[in-house]
Amino acid sequence: MTGWSQIRSWIRATLRRSDMETEMDAELRFHIEDYADDLVQNGVAREDAMRRARLEFGGVERAKEECREARRVNLVDNLTQDLRYAARMMHTNPGFTAVAVLTLALGIGSCTVVFSVFYNLLFNAFSARDASRLVVPALQDADNVGKADGNLEPLTLHLADLDVVREQNQVFEGVVGYITAGGIVLANDGAQQYQFYAARVTSDAFEFYAVPALLGRGVVTDDGKPGASPVFVMNSKTWKDTFKSDPGIVGKSFTVDGEPRTLVGIMPSKFQAFGPQEQIWIPVTRTSGTPRVAGEFPAEILARLKSGVSLNAASADLDLILRRLAALHPDDFPKHFTARVESATDALVGPSGGGPIFQSDIKHLLYDLLAAVMLLLLIACSNVANLLLAHASVREKEIAVRCALGATRRRLIEQLLVESSVLAVTACLLGYAFAWIGTKIIAAMLPQIMGASLGSRIGAETSLGLNLPVLLFGAGVAALTVLICGLAPALHVLRPDLQPHLTGPGNAGDGSFRHGKFRAGVVIAEIALSIVLLTGAGLMMRSFFVLTHVDLGFNPENVLLVVFLPPPSHGRTPAVQRFASPQGQLVLREVVERLEALPGVSEVAIEDTIPGYGPTRGPEITVPGAAHSEEAGLLACDENFLRTLELRLTRGRWLSPEDVQTSQYVAVINKRLASDFFGDANPVGGQLKVKSFKGPTGPPQDTSFQIVGVVEDVKSVGPQQPAMPIAFLPYTVRGGFALLLKTTVKPDSLTHAVQEQVWAVDRDEIIGLSSPLKDFLQKNTYATPEFSLMISAPLAGISLALVVVGIFSVMAYSVSLQTHEIGIRMALGAQRKSILEMILAKGARLIVAGIVIGLFVSYALMRFLASQIWGVSLTDPWTFGGVVALIMLAGLGACLLPARRAASVDPMVALRYE
Amino acid sequence: VDKQLDLLQGTLDMLILKAVSLGPLHGYGVLLRIQQISRDRLEIQQGSLYPALYRLEHQGWIASEWGESENNRKAKYYRLTAAGKKRLQTETDKWNRMAEMIAGILGTKREEV
Repeated sequence: MTGWSQIRSWIRATLRRSDMETEMDAELRFHIEDYADDLVQNGVAREDAMRRARLEFGGVERAKEECREARRVNLVDNLTQDLRYAARMMHTNPGFTAVAVLTLALGIGSCTVVFSVFYNLLFNAFSARDASRLVVPALQDADNVGKADGNLEPLTLHLADLDVVREQNQVFEGVVGYITAGGIVLANDGAQQYQFYAARVTSDAFEFYAVPALLGRGVVTDDGKPGASPVFVMNSKTWKDTFKSDPGIVGKSFTVDGEPRTLVGIMPSKFQAFGPQEQIWIPVTRTSGTPRVAGEFPAEILARLKSGVSLNAASADLDLILRRLAALHPDDFPKHFTARVESATDALVGPSGGGPIFQSDIKHLLYDLLAAVMLLLLIACSNVANLLLAHASVREKEIAVRCALGATRRRLIEQLLVESSVLAVTACLLGYAFAWIGTKIIAAMLPQIMGASLGSRIGAETSLGLNLPVLLFGAGVAALTVLICGLAPALHVLRPDLQPHLTGPGNAGDGSFRHGKFRAGVVIAEIALSIVLLTGAGLMMRSFFVLTHVDLGFNPENVLLVVFLPPPSHGRTPAVQRFASPQGQLVLREVVERLEALPGVSEVAIEDTIPGYGPTRGPEITVPGAAHSEEAGLLACDENFLRTLELRLTRGRWLSPEDVQTSQYVAVINKRLASDFFGDANPVGGQLKVKSFKGPTGPPQDTSFQIVGVVEDVKSVGPQQPAMPIAFLPYTVRGGFALLLKTTVKPDSLTHAVQEQVWAVDRDEIIGLSSPLKDFLQKNTYATPEFSLMISAPLAGISLALVVVGIFSVMAYSVSLQTHEIGIRMALGAQRKSILEMILAKGARLIVAGIVIGLFVSYALMRFLASQIWGVSLTDPWTFGGVVALIMLAGLGACLLPARRAASVDPMVALRYE
Repeated sequence: VDKQLDLLQGTLDMLILKAVSLGPLHGYGVLLRIQQISRDRLEIQQGSLYPALYRLEHQGWIASEWGESENNRKAKYYRLTAAGKKRLQTETDKWNRMAEMIAGILGTKREEV
């Protein structure tokens, strides 16, 4: 094959260059000597023969050069020459080199960081085997079609139904289930009691996921067989934090959830399958075909597609199976539904990832950020192209001379491209260094700002580091920059007329030189692009500000939320029911008294929800004489609730201690409910009728409450949704299982003390949640916008800095070209002030042109941000105005220095200036 | 005597391939053989022989190897490769067709038009 042999011969010639030279020498010498011998034999004198032989051979050196050409070894010669030249160029212009390299490095670095997040979250999020085929079945409730995909809920099935799916499906290679609901368990190793997030997994789950254990082993199928010795597996974080990485703990026996179990393995840190925050995994003991167990929680499902099966095909197959199941158990499924199979990545970070309250469409956000960083790269590239262009025009004379001496245009373009490649490679390495720092920062901040579920998941299995695909992407970006940056000056060289450059002064032409316009165009484009980035980041910033300043109706500062879960020792009676019993009441009262006595706690309230995120729905309510009824949230609480959360009472009074103690049917309603039913009239003293009111025990029945007061609206469906009508009832009527602690110290510092006090009252109590209320808001509502802000704000900042550099370099260059002209003007009597104005006006024209174009582009593009922006119009005049002012100021600032330099030109020097 | 017929572009390659196809030769040998088989009617510019040899080797049509010459000097011998043999065949066919055609055209008489 000739192509291959050519490459081989080229490589051999190139690598063994000196060998080739000596061989060539020897070969030609042999020829001449042999020829001379022949001549001698034909009777020519020896000394004459040698001379004739050489003469007839012709130019030896030319022949050699043609031989080298035939072998294409010149390619390498030229390249080394170009490289040496480029290195010299960079060395002699340190300022130019520094700006160009730094600019490109920022561009490449930003791209690499964003791509690292993008790639690792969307394409590398799981460490499972064949992770790209991992899917999560979901249900779309046809009666509840809200925003696109918003009503997609992950499918949960009872294990018996899961068996049906396993047996009947044609599309999955494997299907496993795990139960996280109610999954906090108490564990005891004889010395100490622990509380763990636990998931029960089908016994094939670990073999399905196929991540080997760090120590010991994972759960194996045999662990699920009836009679197998009970085991469990722990995650690496708990092992490190709680057990100080003690390897001896594997094989130890614990009492887990009331049963003795052996710890058989520790999973590696890059494993967080089967539940977002689960610390231990317990195999489910059952045989296939076991009928449904009453009271058992349904399992979440993870499956792997057979290779080649599409998501649509899998959805269709699953839909059929689920319809048959729904016919058997109509209560488990929505009335009208469609089964959908989502990729596991989409289930984690896609539009449905966060559920209806928590907005976390990270996937969309990542695409937006990638687009933003591409704009930034474009700005960086145009900046460097501009610099190189300025550089090339300074070198016009040099290039013209080389052309005149016979350098081919191809050679010259090659040389310029080599120069920009050298810049790009240097910048790429520096960019990698930036990216390394950037990803470290993001990886460190992610768990802090992301939700408990998402954050720990992402932190665990996804590494945001610089892995091979990310580095390759960075290199690709660098290659792209060579093309973009190198092309403009290279094309510039292609212009045919050499004459003016050879005869003209060192730097040709004036400021409005042909390519001067091109350069101005590049700057205008840069300004326009940065406007887009800045408005995008500005809108996110405004949105985040609005979001964090929403009036919640309560004060989440210094509040610790403690939620109790049903422990096994109490027969798993729901906490609401248990605390409504006389014995439960005693426990609850004693816990409250002990907590009130804790130093740092100023107030303790009993209630039944996570303030801000509940109640999200409730029974129908109405008032006597009203024509309509509506759905209202019922919130059970005690007399301290108002003070603890600092609710604002507007009319009447709050629940009194007597109301609570004697279980009075009284209610405080919020403003929304009051105005819905009473308008402006005073509702205090009126009646509130609740249909199918469900107390802690007993069947639902219609009841009515006396309204005693009105409070300001309180957010209950997340801060972004409008407040719904809410009635606050005594918890003794409705039931309560959560505590709110108003603290005078940092609330999270009390979690341990709280747990101790609770266990001092009742050793079997499980605290399901013990978290500062503020963290809740942060993780569930502020995290995603903060994440986007954290990435987009630096990008916008970098773009602004680059634009300032761009404007500055263009203005400085054009001033340097105009020095001669300015000298003449001043010699003819122009004032310094008018020179200053002239330059500033020129700069301002560029900036204004850029701004106008940028505003139009932003206006058109901002709708792509719609899903990330909340509470602010996409054409928010304040943001747009602020961005324009910022660019205007920064841009004119960048013009000022060159303008002052122009104004301080000494006419005599300028006239002689070449 | 005008021995030096100008070689048509590209024909030198063909002649070299032909010369080498008769047996391995060093560079000077190629020159001599071409002169010999053309009965001295064709003389090749010595300087242009080597770039052609290098080019053909680069294409993989001939291969080289160091050996001993008749008078015991080290010389680089070229031989035809399989690819070169094929190449020579197609080139020869092409040349023959071409020569036939040109001869036909040049031999055309007035009454034949």
